[in-house]
Amino acid sequence: MPSIEHKPEHIVELNWPGRASERVTLNATGKSGGAGEIFSIDSQPGLVAKIYHATTSQANLAHYRCKIQWMVDNRPALPQVPAEYQDIVQLAWPVALILRESRFAGFAMQKIAFDRTLELDYLLNRRQAAEEGFVADYGKLLTISFNLASIIHCLHEKRIAIVDLKPVNVKVFKAELYVSILDCDGFHIAADEFRSDAPQVTPEYLAPEFHGKAVAHPEVQDRFALATIIFRLLNYGIHPFTGVASDHKHYPPELAGRIQQGLYPYGKLVHKRVRKVPASVHETLPDSLRELFDRAFASVGYNRPSAHEWVSALAIYASKDSEQISPCSKGHLRFTGMPCPTCMRDALIQGAEVRRRSFLARVQTAPGRTLQYLKKTLRQTHSSPFQAALAQAQYTFVQLAPAAPISTRNRIALEILWIGGLLITYWWTS
Amino acid sequence: MIAFAALGAWAIWYGLYAHPGEPASFMIWKPTVLYWTLAAIMIIAPLLGWGYPAKIILGTYFALSTREWRWINRGFAAVYSVMGGVNLLVASEASYKDWVGFKYSCMMNLLIIVLFRLNFVWLPILADVSIYLYRRATAAYRYLSNVF
Repeated sequence: MPSIEHKPEHIVELNWPGRASERVTLNATGKSGGAGEIFSIDSQPGLVAKIYHATTSQANLAHYRCKIQWMVDNRPALPQVPAEYQDIVQLAWPVALILRESRFAGFAMQKIAFDRTLELDYLLNRRQAAEEGFVADYGKLLTISFNLASIIHCLHEKRIAIVDLKPVNVKVFKAELYVSILDCDGFHIAADEFRSDAPQVTPEYLAPEFHGKAVAHPEVQDRFALATIIFRLLNYGIHPFTGVASDHKHYPPELAGRIQQGLYPYGKLVHKRVRKVPASVHETLPDSLRELFDRAFASVGYNRPSAHEWVSALAIYASKDSEQISPCSKGHLRFTGMPCPTCMRDALIQGAEVRRRSFLARVQTAPGRTLQYLKKTLRQTHSSPFQAALAQAQYTFVQLAPAAPISTRNRIALEILWIGGLLITYWWTS
Repeated sequence: MIAFAALGAWAIWYGLYAHPGEPASFMIWKPTVLYWTLAAIMIIAPLLGWGYPAKIILGTYFALSTREWRWINRGFAAVYSVMGGVNLLVASEASYKDWVGFKYSCMMNLLIIVLFRLNFVWLPILADVSIYLYRRATAAYRYLSNVF
């Protein structure tokens, strides 16, 4: 086996919470983000290192150091995981500082088994999830929603907010259905002894009151983003502000504009300006969840349901014992007593497909049918009484006289005279 | 027909040959002369037993009764009479600019008549011509197919 020659900058010092330190060697993984690069650690297979880019300013590095130090010392209590799933990492939380030549360079965090997970983003499209080896059903989706809300509730209890909460920052364990949240060093912290802002936001998940301004209430922002993610998970990826304009007023083309204007069409009360997209199955969700969605998207600030409220509401659906989720006649899981969302979605998609094929067939046969129609008109051989009447222009509101007993040639001559009269009239009146 | 021939001749004479053109004061009378001439034709023609001129203006494609044609004819006569009077009134009371505007706005009537004619007279003729050409083309195609 060839020996690997390490560059001097890859030999760093791990600074553990008790201030004990350890010399380790980093290996590049080829993964890099906006703030730093990810390395594996030779002697710590359960950890990975995030080293900030060399271009990071000294001021930012100093801030990161304070933040990471606080995070290492104040790990939040997370939801309990069964003993057999102890290797599941729910939060890529910093566990040690990394110093290079005694200067802060990054941090070490627990390694998430990416081979056992998929991005939450993939679950918004069932086909994409299936390609990743995950067959989604409502039982699994509700469990994932519950687990996500639980982690966020734990963070909020510690006055930590994610702010830039979006599906690509969340990983889902395919078999266990637990979730992992990435990019923890970007969280907002509002502890008594330490405060750190989180300027990064994503417009599609940003609450309307924070568009174009700083996020003044990070927990409120998390409540909005959490509701958006759960809505999308339970409604086949349809964003709660995706809709169809129902009036002639300007309808913003991008989601951010619709969020700002509160154009939420899936409420229990019908929105005047926007209609739901036809493929939505939100009507199959129980009232308890729909009321939470309505509060999340049709109100502002702390009126939105908290992560704890989501945990309480989803708990009964995430538990098999409650029997609130039961199979439909085709074996899909649905909310007990409600129509099956999977069957409804299949019917909607199938209906749309039938209409699409019918339309395409009509388009393809249109030239032939037009030619046939013209031929029948010219030969006066229409078989359908309606088409025959249409071809002969027998309208009821204007009774036309039978054709004049003069030849077409004479009629044209008469019209030429008439046009002459018209020109003379024009000249005399202009 | 005679009236339009006379009016047309007048237009051509003063438009092409007469110098220095028609009398200036006649300008404001021109629309009135036309409207009242048309109104007179509308009134006199039925009295002389020449039928209803409204039929010629609108086209004979409408299956209307004689009574209906009579009332349409009277309506046209009334409209033309009033328009001739209004033209003189506007020319004397309003500014020259306003009179010109009024005069051109009256052309909307011409447009409406043309649209009627287009829909109910010219399009049927066009359809007949199209069918005739199609039959000729089909015959020509058959003939050429036989030849080659």
